[in-house]
Amino acid sequence: MTGNTGHFLRVDLTVDSISLFEPPPNYYTRFVGGSGLAAKLFWENGDFKADALSPESLLIFALGPFAGLRLSGASRFSAAARSPLTGHWADSSCGGNFAPELRFAGFDGILISGVARVPSILVVTDHSARIESSPELWELGVEAATASLKQRFGRSYKTLVIGPAGENLVKFACIMNDGHDAFGRAGLGAVMGSKRLKAIVLKSSNKDLLVADQAKCRELVTELNNRVKESVTLNVMKENGTAANLEGGVHLGDVPIRNFTSNFWEDMSDALTGSTLSEKYLIRGANCAFCSVACKRIVQIDEGPFAIPKGPGPEYETIAAFGSLLGSMDLAAVCKAGRVCNDLGMDTISCGATIAWVIEASEKGHIGADQSDGLKVKWGDIQTVIDELLPSIAQKRGKLGALLAEGSVAAARRIGRNSNEYTVHSKGLEAPMHDPRGGGHGLALTYSVSHRGACHVSSPMLFMEMGACYYPEIGFDYELEPLSSENKPESAVVAMTLGALENSACMCQFADREITIPEWVQLFNVVAGLDWEIDHMMKAGRRIFYLQRLINYRYGLRAKDDHLSPRLLTPAVDGAPEGIEIDFEKMKTKFYKLMDLDQISGIPSKKTLQDHNLELEADTILGE
Amino acid sequence: MEFWKDETEPIKAFIELFERAKHDTELAEGLKKVNQLIWFDYTEDGPSCSFHVDCRGGDVKVAPGKPSDQPDLTMSLSADDAHRSWSNKLNPVMAITRKKIRIKGSATGLLKLAPKLKKVAVIYSGTLKDLGWESKILS
Ligand code: SF4
Repeated sequence: MTGNTGHFLRVDLTVDSISLFEPPPNYYTRFVGGSGLAAKLFWENGDFKADALSPESLLIFALGPFAGLRLSGASRFSAAARSPLTGHWADSSCGGNFAPELRFAGFDGILISGVARVPSILVVTDHSARIESSPELWELGVEAATASLKQRFGRSYKTLVIGPAGENLVKFACIMNDGHDAFGRAGLGAVMGSKRLKAIVLKSSNKDLLVADQAKCRELVTELNNRVKESVTLNVMKENGTAANLEGGVHLGDVPIRNFTSNFWEDMSDALTGSTLSEKYLIRGANCAFCSVACKRIVQIDEGPFAIPKGPGPEYETIAAFGSLLGSMDLAAVCKAGRVCNDLGMDTISCGATIAWVIEASEKGHIGADQSDGLKVKWGDIQTVIDELLPSIAQKRGKLGALLAEGSVAAARRIGRNSNEYTVHSKGLEAPMHDPRGGGHGLALTYSVSHRGACHVSSPMLFMEMGACYYPEIGFDYELEPLSSENKPESAVVAMTLGALENSACMCQFADREITIPEWVQLFNVVAGLDWEIDHMMKAGRRIFYLQRLINYRYGLRAKDDHLSPRLLTPAVDGAPEGIEIDFEKMKTKFYKLMDLDQISGIPSKKTLQDHNLELEADTILGE
Repeated sequence: MEFWKDETEPIKAFIELFERAKHDTELAEGLKKVNQLIWFDYTEDGPSCSFHVDCRGGDVKVAPGKPSDQPDLTMSLSADDAHRSWSNKLNPVMAITRKKIRIKGSATGLLKLAPKLKKVAVIYSGTLKDLGWESKILS
C-alpha cells in the first residue's frame, strides 16, 4: 500500500488494550481516507445505540492518503464520532503537524473506545503505542498540559490535548493540536473527555512517505507548490491571515453581527480585518506541516486589559465569533477571548454563538436573573465574557455556565419563551461566521444538507459563490451570483461531492483551490497508486456523501432536518442583502432531485446506493 | 477590442476616472491606504495601453504608461475587461480564477478598494458621459 500504511491503532481504554487493525484495502479506494474512511469504519464498528459520551461510543482519528506529502495544504486530518452536541454524525478537520507524524509512525488513524479508570494519555511512537495514566494533567488548561507533555517527552513530540471543557463534557469542547490548531466543531473534545483521555502524544523517527510513483509525484508536488507560492489569494492570506478579506465580507453582508441581527457595520470592518491584526499585534505567521501559505497567526499584546504573551492568534472564525457576533470591534479583546477559549478547550464558533444567543435572550428578558446567576452580559462586553462566562461554561459553574455548556439549541429548549427563534444553526450545530444571506444563497443550501450541521467547510460552496472555483471538467463553469438561487442546486451537487473528497483526502480548503480536477486525480494515482479517472474520483465523493447520510438516517434524521433555523431565512434588515429572500425550499427540492434523495426520508434510492457500491449499506437500511 | 476604437481611448477614460476618484473623499482615503505603486497593464491591446497610479506616501498620482520605479503591484488584463471591471460588471475574484486578470505583487491593498467598486462605477459612468462616450456605459 502506498500513501496509506494500511494500519490503524485500535484502543480500548476500559480494558487497557491496544491492537493493530487493518481495514480491508478496498475501504481506502472506496472511501478515500479522513472523513470518508472514518464513516465506513464507524458504520462497521460503531454502536448506533450508544450515547455520544458513553464508554461504547467510538472516537476515530483518520488521515488522508496525502498526510506526510511535502505539499502545501496536504497534511490535515479528521476526527469523527457521534456528536454530543447534535446527537448525530460529526467529523471535524484539523491542521497542524500531527497528521504527517502519525503517518510516519506507521498508522493511518486511531479508533478509540471505552473509558480509562484514571485520566490517561496515549503515547504513540514508531509502530507502537501505550496507555499511561496521567492524573496530574487532569484539570490543566490546554497550554499547561501541552507544555507539561513537551517537557516530559520532548519538544518534538506532537500533542492532541483536551482542556477542562472536554473533561467536564461541555457539548462543544474541542481537541487542540500543539495548543494552536483545533478539531473545533461538534464537541469531539467532550467525547475524548468522556473516555478520560487527556491527550495523545506522538513521535516518529521515520520521515518518509512511500508513494506509488516517486518521479511523477515529485514533479506534480513541485508544480503545485510553486502555484501555491504564486497564488494571489494565498499570498494575501500569508500576509494577513484568514481574516484578510473581512472588510470585503462586511460589505457583502457575509459577516454576522450581534447574533446575525445585522449585516453591516462599517467601522468594525476596519477594526477587525486581517491587515489591522498584522499591523497591531502580529509577530509572525505560522503554518501547518509543509505548507508555504502560513495563514496562522502568532500574536502578542503588550499592554492593556487584554495583554497576552506571544502565542497563537485568532483566525477569521474566532475574530468574528468573539468580535462582530458579540457586538465588539475590540481586536485585542478578541485575541484574548480566543486565547482563553482555546486554553479551556472549547470551539470558538459554538461558544461565541451560544454567548451571542444568551446576550439576545437577556436583552429580550427571556432569561431571568435566577437562570443567569444574576450575570448580565451586554453586546460588546468582552471583558465579562473572558472573566466570567468562558470559565463558567468550561467548568459548568453555576446555573448559567451549566446551561450554556449544552450549546445554544439545548439551552433555548431549556428556557423556552420562543428563544429558539434566535438560535442560529442547522441540525443543532451553530452556524459559522458566514451569513448565507450575504455570503451566498448556495451556502444556505450546503449548510442545511451538510451532515454535521451548519458548516462552511463541508464543501467549497463559499469559494464557488465568491468566484474562486472553476472546474469545467466536471461541469462547474457557472458565473454564480451570490444573492440568487440560480444554478445553486447544480453547484451544490458539485460542492458537496468535492467537499466529501476534500475532507476525506484531508486537504486544506484554502490551498486546495489551486489544484485542478485532473491534478486531483493525478495526485490520488501517483500517491496512492490508484488507477482513477475523473469519474471514479467524483463517484467516491458521492459515495462518501451518501454513506454519511445513511449514518444520520440511522440516528433518526430525515429530509425535514435539512433545514436552517428561522433567523438565517429571514431577510436581512441592512447591508448589501437587505430585504432579499432566500428561495430555500426551491433550491433544496432541486438538490434532492439531482442527488436522488427522497423528499421525506432524505436518503437515496436503493438503485443509487447500488450504483455507488453501497449495496450492503442499502440492505442494512432498506432491507434485502 | 469590443469597446474601444484604439489603445488611447481606454487610457484617457481610466486616467480621468482616477483624477475624479482622487477628489472623492472616501475613494481618496481608500487609495491612500493602498500605499502602493500600481501598474495597470493592458499592453495585450497595444504597446502604450497602460497607466499607473502611485498611492505611496499619502498622495495619489496618475499617469499614462509604465512607471519608472518598480511597481509594487502589476495588474494585467485586456482593456475591455478593465472597462467591465471599472463598470463593476466583472467579478475580480472570478476574473483572477479564470486568468482574465493576472496579478504580480501583493494584492492586499486592492482588497481594501474592492468594497468601493460600486462607487467607482458611478464615477466611471459620469466620466464616460462627460467624455461623450455615453454609448460605452454598461447597463
Ligand atoms: S493554508 Fe493555512 S490552514 Fe491551510 S494548510 Fe496552509 S497554513 Fe494550514
